Amino acid sequence: MRIIVILGRVLDPRGIVVNPRAGRIFVNREEYILQPADRCALEAALQIKEAVGAEVVALPRAFLPDDDVLRQALATGADRAVYIAGKPSALPDDGVMARVLLAAIERLGGADLILTGATTLDAGQGQLGPRLAEALGWPQIVGAWTAEVADGSVRAVRQDGGGYVWVEAPLPAVVTFVPGALKPRYPDGRRLINIYKGVGEIAAALERWEAKDLVTPEALAPMLERRGQEFPPERERGVRLTGSLEEIARSAADALRARLPR
Amino acid sequence: MDFTFSPEHQALRRMIREFAETEIAPVAAELDREHKVPRDIMRKLGEIGLLGVCFPQEYGGMGAGETGYCILMEELGRVCANTAVNVGAHIGIGAMCIHLDGTPEQKRKYLTPLARGEKIAAFGLTESNAGSDAANVRTRAVREGDSWILDGGKVFITNGGYADIITVLAVTDPALGARGGITAFIVETDSPGFKVAREEDKMGIRGSSTAELVFEELRVPHENVLGKVGEGFVTFMKSLDMGRLTLGAACLGGAQKVLEQAVYWAKTRVQFGEALAHKQAVQWMIANMATEIEALRSLVYRVAWLVDTGQPFTQLAAMCKLYGSEVLSRAVDMAIQIHGGLGITRDFPLERAFRDARINEIFEGTNEVQRIVIASNIFREFGVRIRP
Repeated sequence: MRIIVILGRVLDPRGIVVNPRAGRIFVNREEYILQPADRCALEAALQIKEAVGAEVVALPRAFLPDDDVLRQALATGADRAVYIAGKPSALPDDGVMARVLLAAIERLGGADLILTGATTLDAGQGQLGPRLAEALGWPQIVGAWTAEVADGSVRAVRQDGGGYVWVEAPLPAVVTFVPGALKPRYPDGRRLINIYKGVGEIAAALERWEAKDLVTPEALAPMLERRGQEFPPERERGVRLTGSLEEIARSAADALRARLPR
Repeated sequence: MDFTFSPEHQALRRMIREFAETEIAPVAAELDREHKVPRDIMRKLGEIGLLGVCFPQEYGGMGAGETGYCILMEELGRVCANTAVNVGAHIGIGAMCIHLDGTPEQKRKYLTPLARGEKIAAFGLTESNAGSDAANVRTRAVREGDSWILDGGKVFITNGGYADIITVLAVTDPALGARGGITAFIVETDSPGFKVAREEDKMGIRGSSTAELVFEELRVPHENVLGKVGEGFVTFMKSLDMGRLTLGAACLGGAQKVLEQAVYWAKTRVQFGEALAHKQAVQWMIANMATEIEALRSLVYRVAWLVDTGQPFTQLAAMCKLYGSEVLSRAVDMAIQIHGGLGITRDFPLERAFRDARINEIFEGTNEVQRIVIASNIFREFGVRIRP
């Protein structure tokens, strides 16, 4: 079985300050981390690998200036990773990336399961998984909390309204994960050092492909254009309740009741 | 000259920082309050390979060199002095002796489980009459056929209360003293005759074990002699050189953290109608702290580079320890001053940092001993030999 995990990176939120009034994001420390939802997808892939055996292949969800996320995936337990070199766009473009990834997956010889994040922390992209499923004609489970594979199908838990539901789809399929779904494991220190030093078997597990060899130049033309940016309005402040304990409880209950959907 | 960290060291730091902030920082206050040794954290550190950070991969290590080890200690020092002390005693001195002078067989048997964190190490040098005067050890080892019989004891042994393997310094020939009469042994703590006599109740680093150990007719096989018979003192001094450097790295992390806390507080706290950050008195304290920390950082990583490139570093390692511990103490002191009365309450982490910082000026060679090391090296260059 081959599992494809699609991973991206995001500026570490601990290193940035958002100033809505100035309309700017100040970067104090330019460090990148794996997209949290993608990292859950990687964890799910490794859990499935441990349970039923699989080859886990990591691919990037955008044209990245470096291959750090793929190296991290290899250090964490992925078997193989392909860095796809292309012109990084100012704007993440799931439409273009879906075309590139489809070609890459075909070149890999297909897959049984594609896992990725249901959303990204910075741009809130959620189209990549659904687009791939649509193009491949595969079933998709969007926003999973867990996923396991048995008897040729994938079974996942996803949130549905106020509760959780089990859903099942035959393989091959696409599953996307919500951030925080699983507690991701840490990379293995020794694998991490080896993949960066380029020593041992693991160094050969990272390949580099060119996007222009995978798809036509037309397919790489961006589908999105950035016209400007605006910050959301400042949130309304809460209300401070006063009075006796009973009065406070009553007003709080009334306020909550007023918000209930009819 | 290139001051940038290699990509593998940058990746290593990212990994360690995430681990430290997720797994250690949330429990740091509890370790101190409950007087708890972070065994669980040690196990997890071992599982992802960090307890073998500087040891070769053939013995279960990571092979990230002394620079990697300094990064580990800096990041641990940032979030939890206790974890840093446990790890420092384990890797930096306990297991380090075996790494430096062990035979391939000893490394396979002892260094491998230590590097993986399956076993915990301690370093048995200090005795009640041999602290700074390390050559004055009295623990006796007598040869009996294929074994040595150890009698005596050690005090203030970090990790001593729960270590599985302790490297112990003992006198094998009283006539020769430190020059040929002291030998290092690898002692397994489940051997008959090994006893943990008591645990110290300390002001700081309360989440670490500081134990008094007693050896009564403790039998150690001859193959557990570390290095050559009579040359144990040299092995131990070499390990301490390494330990001193990484102690400086842990101080660097701790000082950087309190600087950040002080800056945050200066930004938030308003007095006389403006944030403390706008007061020159506070700005100068922050500037002094930051300057010293930056100087320490340059020193620590330069010495790490000397170690990794096989150059002499004894004198500079002593400077790392001396300067690092003092920079940390001054930084914590100034951070508390900026916080005012709140700084000494248990609601803020500075109170703990203040108690934890103090030991750094004492253990792994007091700062006075470091000055002796530095001065004797300098005077030697001018042909003057000074004795402590």
